[in-house]
Amino acid sequence: MPTVRLKGLSKSYGDIKAADGLDLEVKDGEYLCVLGPTGAGKTTLLRMISGLLAPDKGKIYFNGEDFTGKEIEERRAALLSQTYALFPQLTVEENITFGLDIRGADEKLKEQVLISMLDLVRLSGRSDAFPRELSGGMQQRTALARALASGADLLLLDEPLRALDARLRISLRTELRSLVKTLKMTAIHVTHDQDEALVMADRVAVIREGRILQIGTPKEVWDKPATPFVANFVGQSNFFTGEVLQSSPYTLLRTAEGTVLKGRSSEIPSGATAVLGVKIGNTEISKERPGYLKAKVERIIFEGRNLHVDLMMENGQRISSKVPSWRKGKIAAGDQVDVYWEESKGTVFPMPPGGLENELRVE
Amino acid sequence: MMVEVKLVGLGKRYGPVTAVDKVDLTVRDKEYVTILGPSGCGKTTLIRMIAGIIEPTEGQVYIDGKEMTGVPIEDRDIGYVFQNIALFPHLTVKDNVSYGPRAKDLPPEEQARISTRFLEMVKLLDKMEMLPGELCGGEQQKASLARALSSGSKLLLLDEPLSALDSRVRVDLRYELRRLAKELGLTTIHVTHDQEEAQSVSDRIVLMRAGTVVETGTPEELYTRPKRIFTANFIGETNLLEGWVLEINDGVSVIELRNGGKVKVNQADHPLGDAVVISVRPEFVFPADEGMKARVTAITYMGTYWRITANTEDEEEVGFDSATLDENLLTIGKEVYLAVNPKAAVLYPRPEDGVQEAIKLE
Amino acid sequence: MFFLFFVILPTVYILSYAFTNWGSIEQHVLDDPAMLDLILNAISASFQIAGIVTVIDILAGLPMAWILVRKEFRGKRFLDTLIDMPLAVPTAALGFSSAIFFAVTPESLAAPSFALNIVTSPYLLIILLHVVFSYPYMVRSLSAILVQIDQTYETAGRTLGASALSAARTITLPLFRAGLVTGMILCFARSLSETGGTMIALATMANPGSFATGPTLIGDWKHDLTSNPDLAAPLAFVSILLIILSLVLLVVLKLVIMKIHLPMGRIWPRPERLFSRGWFPKTKDGMAVLFLVVFVILPSFFIFTYVASATPVAFDYGPFMDSLIYSFLIAAVVTVIDISLGVPLALYIAKNRKGKLPEVLDVLVNVPLIVPTAALGYSLGVFWTGQNIIPTFDALLIILAHVAFTYPLVVRNVAGAVEEVDPAYEETARTLGARPVQAFRRVLYPMIKSSILAGAIMAFTRSLGETGATQAVVASAITAPVYIVELIKSEAFYTAGLACIVLIIVSYVAMLALRYVTNGRRSR
Repeated sequence: MPTVRLKGLSKSYGDIKAADGLDLEVKDGEYLCVLGPTGAGKTTLLRMISGLLAPDKGKIYFNGEDFTGKEIEERRAALLSQTYALFPQLTVEENITFGLDIRGADEKLKEQVLISMLDLVRLSGRSDAFPRELSGGMQQRTALARALASGADLLLLDEPLRALDARLRISLRTELRSLVKTLKMTAIHVTHDQDEALVMADRVAVIREGRILQIGTPKEVWDKPATPFVANFVGQSNFFTGEVLQSSPYTLLRTAEGTVLKGRSSEIPSGATAVLGVKIGNTEISKERPGYLKAKVERIIFEGRNLHVDLMMENGQRISSKVPSWRKGKIAAGDQVDVYWEESKGTVFPMPPGGLENELRVE
Repeated sequence: MMVEVKLVGLGKRYGPVTAVDKVDLTVRDKEYVTILGPSGCGKTTLIRMIAGIIEPTEGQVYIDGKEMTGVPIEDRDIGYVFQNIALFPHLTVKDNVSYGPRAKDLPPEEQARISTRFLEMVKLLDKMEMLPGELCGGEQQKASLARALSSGSKLLLLDEPLSALDSRVRVDLRYELRRLAKELGLTTIHVTHDQEEAQSVSDRIVLMRAGTVVETGTPEELYTRPKRIFTANFIGETNLLEGWVLEINDGVSVIELRNGGKVKVNQADHPLGDAVVISVRPEFVFPADEGMKARVTAITYMGTYWRITANTEDEEEVGFDSATLDENLLTIGKEVYLAVNPKAAVLYPRPEDGVQEAIKLE
Repeated sequence: MFFLFFVILPTVYILSYAFTNWGSIEQHVLDDPAMLDLILNAISASFQIAGIVTVIDILAGLPMAWILVRKEFRGKRFLDTLIDMPLAVPTAALGFSSAIFFAVTPESLAAPSFALNIVTSPYLLIILLHVVFSYPYMVRSLSAILVQIDQTYETAGRTLGASALSAARTITLPLFRAGLVTGMILCFARSLSETGGTMIALATMANPGSFATGPTLIGDWKHDLTSNPDLAAPLAFVSILLIILSLVLLVVLKLVIMKIHLPMGRIWPRPERLFSRGWFPKTKDGMAVLFLVVFVILPSFFIFTYVASATPVAFDYGPFMDSLIYSFLIAAVVTVIDISLGVPLALYIAKNRKGKLPEVLDVLVNVPLIVPTAALGYSLGVFWTGQNIIPTFDALLIILAHVAFTYPLVVRNVAGAVEEVDPAYEETARTLGARPVQAFRRVLYPMIKSSILAGAIMAFTRSLGETGATQAVVASAITAPVYIVELIKSEAFYTAGLACIVLIIVSYVAMLALRYVTNGRRSR
């Protein structure tokens, strides 16, 4: 199973940079999720790796060998697209064994692989069915089996769960990951859904406007975001702007109202304008314990295991907090609360060049 | 003006296939109701019958007390938002939003006033002169919403309005939907397959499956005390454990699980020896000194907590949450004993066809 | 490359005649007022008829297309098949049949009593005839576009309070324009081109006088060319005029239609509401169907009534069968050539939508469809007989002429089908290890098989029924339609009737084969 390395990959369509100098390394047997909003360049990335699209600049290496100019069929990278593209006039069986058939495998091998695949994706009774007779989830599993059975080394998944119902997605996430791991394949899975990425990936690469903003384990990307965009795209964050007073051993930020907030240590020089981001799940609210700021509860939304609380600060800024549902009886709309967070949970960023609102924009 | 929607025995059949099976439902004035369910459960057919786009094969629809049978779409006074947005591609955003007033042949100043008002509400005033194709997904949906609202109707029907959008965009937009609906005092019926979405926006949720209503209740009711196993599994995540009633003391049942463990549940409505299923959500399961035995198979970081998956002796998969991760106690392969919060667990009779059939989605 | 050389070049070659033989043209045409008059009258008649026919087709065809696409009812498939029927009948037979039905015919014809027999003006008769065979084209073009417009838009309009009529008028119709243009161009061109049926209709009616259309002029004169070489210049002139005018029209239509601002801004709620329900829509639909039956179906098949009711005459099958076989062979060869060379071009165009050359080719492909086949035939004939590189013989010339206007049919059909197919299928096959040829053979080809076949059958029936081009390129050729024209001119009406029926049956069988194959695909 290969390692994949992308170096300085670029692709432009007129003024639009679909890929802007992408650098990425995927380890052998790794399940990597590329996470980003629509239009970030995720599909372009997959198409360049698979060979369907030629980059303007940059190189692609499989196991150290330069594959940039190689033909699609030589790359042994199977692509699973959003729409599955199951060949409509072939049965489930014929679809799954397509890759082997093309390479001229003998009947016995095809039979073997077919049986084990059908078993793996739990479609054993349906090998004679046509794609249009299957439900959405079954189609997805057939497309997956087809890619897995093709003898490819690398699996490229383009939003493979997008077409499914929300509830089904949740069930199939773990199934998909364990299938890939069982077969010890390397997978690059592209998605816009942060929950999906966090649950399925060994590592997550956050992409936006053709550039990779951060690569790390789900925990790293969640706890230590590299930019405000990442902080708000992976989970939701509250942001406070101010002037840096000191940046180590922890950062002190003074807001326009004179309040001093604390965050993790950073390397921003004193006097510079900066932004402090705290995940809403780490933004604690309390009526007893004093905090950095005061705010009024505007609205409480029940979300199952959590309550989503929307608050308005004295200066008119809106923030949110997520608290466990058992606190329901203890807070109500209209309450005045103190807002607090552990300093290690607050990350301070230099003020983004285009302004904060522009930085956080998703579309 | 009060707008109440009442469905009486509403049904739709296509030959041998029953899409909607005699549904009774009342949506009160100014209520925000979500019709939730998996694909094919009939929710879209239902909302289309309310709008008049599909004719029912049986039953009646009452809007504001008036029976709607035979009344064409344009006379029903509704605002409808489509799943695929359906903004008129050849008209600008402004002309799209003013279509409703124009259909009533209102004077041009009035048309402009109405469309400006609603475009402002959804913060799209600066995109007024653009064509739909120039907007991104979230903006298109907001324009579509403004258009539906501009017809002046007090009944808003939303057909999977957010399904085509990115998940991050959905999160922001769903609060907007509810805010607007409440601000304008609308009666809203919102159809979706996404239970998180339903929980965030609804006053009440109507859960459907295979053409019928399974259960209705507030988001909280359906989460903490669902009446059916399907509901328990569909809304939020839950562990479903099979067992038998072993003892009953003072309103507390002791259940012997198939996987060998014993748990207590604060419910006493099942007789001794009955085959039951316990539904308990991951946040109410925790490691303890005694309970069910399980071996840890996966540990996933969920941001503000860890989700640990473990397999019991009966090969059931159980998930539980932990705020912190003590690496000594919880690593892959380690054996733990899991207990359950007796107040949060819910008991159900064991379904005849088995648990898998009861929760099946497609 | 084949395309350019064998198709486009010969088609427009005749234009060069204007430069090389200007003197001749001046002498025989421009300086001869009677001749000039004749030509200009014929051409203006052709264009006027084509224009009127197109307008009638739009008015009658639009409601019908709406019914086919938007409504569901029992018997819809039957209606569907009914509309296609005139396509199966070669225009020669259509001309004969319509003339018997509508017009006042000579005594020797012995028309059955239920023929309408009311039309005496050749002008009117030709209009009616052209409506018969252009109507299906219009309905099909309109349906094809209507199907692509998502009905959700209209529904959205209705939820906003617009009645069905208002919504259709202000939302769907504007989105429709591109399809309307295509339909109009096809109908216009088809009417302009028509030769065989027109000739026969004129020959059948009692007093045609000296009425002529552009193509009939070409047909008649080519016939007389050997005995009167002076006709070469006028022939060329007519052809040139026809070609130039039709190309100009193509351009004008395309530009103008897209710019016209239809009054779709204002909505009149009350009257439009009224028209949306109750008896009005039902009457509109009923009239559309009635139109179909009276003006399209009955005239097409009246020939059967005629033959059944007339007195039988001995029919010498020999020469007719010869002509039929000749037509058949030509059509077969033409079709094979079309497919083997058309499919690659179609693939090239469809897959390279962004390139300049494919776009240009795409437009050029439409040229032979627009240019009247008679003019095309003549130009081609002059081109090939004039050059000395490849030896020519009659059959070859006819084949080349037929290829010229059937080739685009195949290319358009196949290119259209390929464009409909999601590229993801082939791409996925490639990533699964298939080389480009393998991906085509195993994935794309099965998906477009039925449209290749559809294109082939369209080409075949078109070639089988063609008269104008055949006569214009080789005046003495006897293909089946030409034979029927001869029969009628010599007043052998009954024989002609029988011959028509045989021709109809052959074409109809081909049509059924097409339906079977495409429906078989759909239900699979």
